[in-house]
Amino acid sequence: MARTSRRLTLLLGLCALAAQAVGDPARSGEVEAPHIRAELFSDADRVAPGDTLTLALRLQPDEGWHTYWMNPGDSGLETRIDWTLPDGAEAGPIQWPVPDRLPVEHLVNYGFEGETLLLSDITLPLEIAQDDSVTLTAQARWLVCEVECIPGDAELSLTLPVGDITDLSAHTALFQRARARQPQAADWPAAFSIEATWLEVTVAPDRPLTPPLQFFPGTTELVEHAENQQFSTDEHGNLIIRQPLNVYFHTTPAQFPAVLRDANGAWSLTVGGTEAPPTGEDRADSATDTVPTRLLALLLAFGGGVLLNLMPCVFPVLSLKALGLARHGGHRGHALAYTAGVLACFLVIAALLLALRAGGAALGWGFQLQTPMVVGGLAYLMFALGLALMGVVQLGAGWMGAGETLTRDTGLRGSFFTGVLAVVVASPCTAPFMGTALGFAVTQPAPVALGIFAALGLGLAFPFLLIGFVPALARRLPKPGPWMGIFRQAMAFPLFLTGVWLLWVLGRQVGIDGLTFALAGLVVLALGLWLWGLGQHGRQRLRLAAALVMLAALWPLWQASGQQATIAVTADDDRWTPQRLAALRAAGEPVLVNMTADWCITCLANERVALDTDMVRAALTDGGVSYLKGDWTRQDPDITEYLAGYGRNGVPLYVLYPRGGGAPQVLPQVLTPTLVRDAVSRAANP
Amino acid sequence: MKSLHLALTGCLLALTLGAAHAAPRVGQPAPDFSVIDTAGQTHSLADFSGQTVILEWTNHDCPFVKKHYVSDNMQQLQRRYTENGAVWLTVISSAPGKQGHVSPDQADALTRDRHAAPTAVLLDESGDMGRAYDARTTPHMYVIDADGVLRFMGGIDSNPSADPADIPGATPYLANAARAVLDGHTPDPAVTRPYGCTVKY
Repeated sequence: MARTSRRLTLLLGLCALAAQAVGDPARSGEVEAPHIRAELFSDADRVAPGDTLTLALRLQPDEGWHTYWMNPGDSGLETRIDWTLPDGAEAGPIQWPVPDRLPVEHLVNYGFEGETLLLSDITLPLEIAQDDSVTLTAQARWLVCEVECIPGDAELSLTLPVGDITDLSAHTALFQRARARQPQAADWPAAFSIEATWLEVTVAPDRPLTPPLQFFPGTTELVEHAENQQFSTDEHGNLIIRQPLNVYFHTTPAQFPAVLRDANGAWSLTVGGTEAPPTGEDRADSATDTVPTRLLALLLAFGGGVLLNLMPCVFPVLSLKALGLARHGGHRGHALAYTAGVLACFLVIAALLLALRAGGAALGWGFQLQTPMVVGGLAYLMFALGLALMGVVQLGAGWMGAGETLTRDTGLRGSFFTGVLAVVVASPCTAPFMGTALGFAVTQPAPVALGIFAALGLGLAFPFLLIGFVPALARRLPKPGPWMGIFRQAMAFPLFLTGVWLLWVLGRQVGIDGLTFALAGLVVLALGLWLWGLGQHGRQRLRLAAALVMLAALWPLWQASGQQATIAVTADDDRWTPQRLAALRAAGEPVLVNMTADWCITCLANERVALDTDMVRAALTDGGVSYLKGDWTRQDPDITEYLAGYGRNGVPLYVLYPRGGGAPQVLPQVLTPTLVRDAVSRAANP
Repeated sequence: MKSLHLALTGCLLALTLGAAHAAPRVGQPAPDFSVIDTAGQTHSLADFSGQTVILEWTNHDCPFVKKHYVSDNMQQLQRRYTENGAVWLTVISSAPGKQGHVSPDQADALTRDRHAAPTAVLLDESGDMGRAYDARTTPHMYVIDADGVLRFMGGIDSNPSADPADIPGATPYLANAARAVLDGHTPDPAVTRPYGCTVKY
């Protein structure tokens, strides 16, 4: 088989050579190999001694087939060219076009589909007889793959007459096309460091880059190609790129070539070449540089945590906790147990988020709410808690420390789980509130990131620590009494409302059918709780039945989470896609991007108060500003990547791109109509 | 109390959203497996306790695999190390309908026709074993020591080409690693880039 194809290649090559003899000296004639055609072109018809000419190897794989870049990625093989040249002539390296990411199964390769033009410069020696000719022969070897791979090769030759001057050939259009597909050489300072299992690259571009960004390291075994790249900016405006190290990484290169691609173009860089990677003193400097940033992030996180106590989804749970503390007269143990619960749950979710991101999943804070099962589970939880507060079941008073007969242990455990619960219900509020600090956190090494999440948790727990540790404050809390029973029942209503809101989110995710399943499940859950309440007076069998019924309530929830909303979440004509944004940007159009999610209360408030107002609508229309809305209610890796491009890890994010392609402006996370109108007007007429 | 458990469930639900993919690591216990061979016999790693185990992922249609079989390189390695007391398991993770998938009879015929000498050929149709080892390419090689600890993973040699002529000039990573493990040493390098075709899960 191999022999037949080689013979065929030879035969075709001979035909091509024959064709060339009578035709164009700057063209080798095409060699056809399985699933690919190869041909060599020259940018000169005639060459002068000492001149440099450029040759182009054109590869045309069949549709769906591809060849590989200098770093082929996880599998594959880069295309190689071996030159046979006249004595004294020299060939430069392949000038690669900008590669594409080619996902195959769970791997990612870097390569090219469609017409691929690989340029090489050939410098001729000074001593060539003028009436002579030069023969330039390329032995090209490639691997062409669709899913299966076929290695191939071709010998391609050009014979060019030698003259006084170098005459350009008729193939200028082809060479222009080839150069247009190459990255622009950039001398931007770029350095890299390797920390534990991460590659971190710092680039100082001389212009604003437009997401989505892609980074292609030109060396194998460096990064885990299939894993998510994280983009962020540091306080000096440098671009920071982080990607997990390749499992097969073993030697740190001194420097490596790379291509950085944004929505508008691509640049080739040498990483670690123009600026030594930080070592010793440098590293100490950069460490002190980031300390204020880290400190600021910690303070921001702490303050944000304190304010979270006032959020509508957190408040009912917390007011009950305060009530329990009042009952206990401000017990330190309870405050500490509650704090431990908050911290534990925050750290578990944060660690999970970091681990999943390290594993390549495109996730941001709030990812737990992108799963209908979790949103539905929270709605169930709110409903069950509400019923419990209403007295349908006698609460094992442990969880809010309201019972008198309970042992201290159970009470402490209850405080701990109240803390866990506070974080679970607070998570929808956390993302918008803490955007900057959380976005910063996930770009940091794990200990720093976890520290920021811990600061957030400490902030959330802070009021209770105060009550627990400052007796004067505890004494100011209202005295326990019969009013507490009424207060407890009243607190059921905010919980029911939170449940309604969660069901609305679930409805947006799973549609009316899914929502109906979930509502039916709530009825079953209510039945179970009611039976449990009946069984609390010693009827064991009833309690068993109640437990079974409550378990059965999970089935409709499971059904619900399998449904898919059929209603388009946003009108299709303003739906954000990376392609749509890139097209508008390429045309120099002004664009307002709104990244939102149904479970993000701040996002909804901003839309209601600012974006969806006549004033802003008029400003958008008058200024000819396109409005693109990205919906992160369900998981969307494109949006996660876009958010990461702005150093964010959650919604909302509002980005305004001015007319003519200037630097994008990020709007604050809390919007007012005038703020948006003014920003939109400036972007429309920069 | 039920509410507490529900609260925890909320947290746990978030936890189970997707188990992070844990890649095998050199120096750690190698992932266990339970896969049938061409004779229908089930093998697991524990069965080979006390022996050095070499794993070879393969796909007979892959040009990079052909390179090492046409040249008799793979067969020589199989013979050399099984004679030295190692267990050599050739693993086919191609899913049914994908390139490289073979029936037990076809696999036996391949072994016979190519004069291959593995201890057994494992048919990992589900891809569970391949994914547990994060096998990416064919060939992709692993060496596990007598205590079940993964000692080497990666490419068979240093030249990622599909040309048999390149074999003699390449550093034979797998051969060096297998030799080191059999002699009780630590392979250096212990990880190298696997090259070849993607495994067709």
